[in-house]
Amino acid sequence: MAYSDKVVDHYENPRNVGTLDKSSSEVGTGLVGAPECGDVMRLQIRVNPETNVIEDAKFKTFGCGSAIASSSLATEWVKGKTIDEALTITNTDIVKELALPPVKIHCSVLAEDAIRAAIGDWKKKNNVTETAGVAVAAAH
Amino acid sequence: MSQNPETDFFTFFTLPRKLHLDTSALEKAFYTLSRKLHPDRFAAKPLAEQEAALAQSSLLNDAYRTLKDPILRTQYLLTLEGVELEEQSKTATEAARTSGIEKKQIVPPELLEEVFELNMQLQEMRAAKKMGEEEPELRRDLLAAKDAFDARMVETQAELETLWTQWDAALEAGDRDAQTKARDAMVTLLNKRSYLRNLVRDVNEALE
Repeated sequence: MAYSDKVVDHYENPRNVGTLDKSSSEVGTGLVGAPECGDVMRLQIRVNPETNVIEDAKFKTFGCGSAIASSSLATEWVKGKTIDEALTITNTDIVKELALPPVKIHCSVLAEDAIRAAIGDWKKKNNVTETAGVAVAAAH
Repeated sequence: MSQNPETDFFTFFTLPRKLHLDTSALEKAFYTLSRKLHPDRFAAKPLAEQEAALAQSSLLNDAYRTLKDPILRTQYLLTLEGVELEEQSKTATEAARTSGIEKKQIVPPELLEEVFELNMQLQEMRAAKKMGEEEPELRRDLLAAKDAFDARMVETQAELETLWTQWDAALEAGDRDAQTKARDAMVTLLNKRSYLRNLVRDVNEALE
């Protein structure tokens, strides 16, 4: 199976590899795994508390090329988006962008999970209540 | 595959859908059936019969290979019981997206943390190796981790066998609730196991 050019590009030049300060209240961390293949992915976001805009994102993934490319792309996409906008990213978007074959769809699922988990962590830290669809920011 | 959709591997060997299985009896049945289905015995038969025997023979091989292996057998049974091991993560993500509620990770978070940390160490070790450096401390850590994970693989096997017993008993008693419980516990355990297996493999590679 051949990887698409975009996967190869992200794999060879991954964007935003690294770590943000986990203890900061502005940072949300998502650690997720795909039991199908044993991959593990950590995605972190730093959110501006005034605007709810994701100003920085970092990832570290142990897994195949597609998993690395999916998380690299995910960090690129969430940057500059608000929390609510970032939540609209789905694994299907990632599959399309990277032209992932069916056997690698779980990698894109993992990346979507990682975004959601990071946002969930940030919300928990900042007492943002979780509601269906719309997130309501509580005063903090 | 040109198999009768109603013929699952257990039915093929006229076995109940139990997970404790006498593998030596299975082996005997396999050899008996192999001989019966051998192409030589069908050489003089009409083409349709030859083809049917060939299809049966390939089903026999798949069934035997699957059922004799404890993990493949468990995975196969779970599939028969409606679990989509390959799809479980995707399905859970889709559910989380529509409900807006955070997805429950299939793998326990503590295990993920551990896997992540160990992978960091492995990476360090590989980098050191590339530079031609020996990292005795790192190596010692990894050896300790390897022993720990080997031991946990053994534990996992024992846990799985306990669940087999629960499944078999529930099946015999016709207790659907207990069957579902055992089935779900097996899914969780197999998920955990795939991480452990990868870790053992990666640690071994790094230590080479």
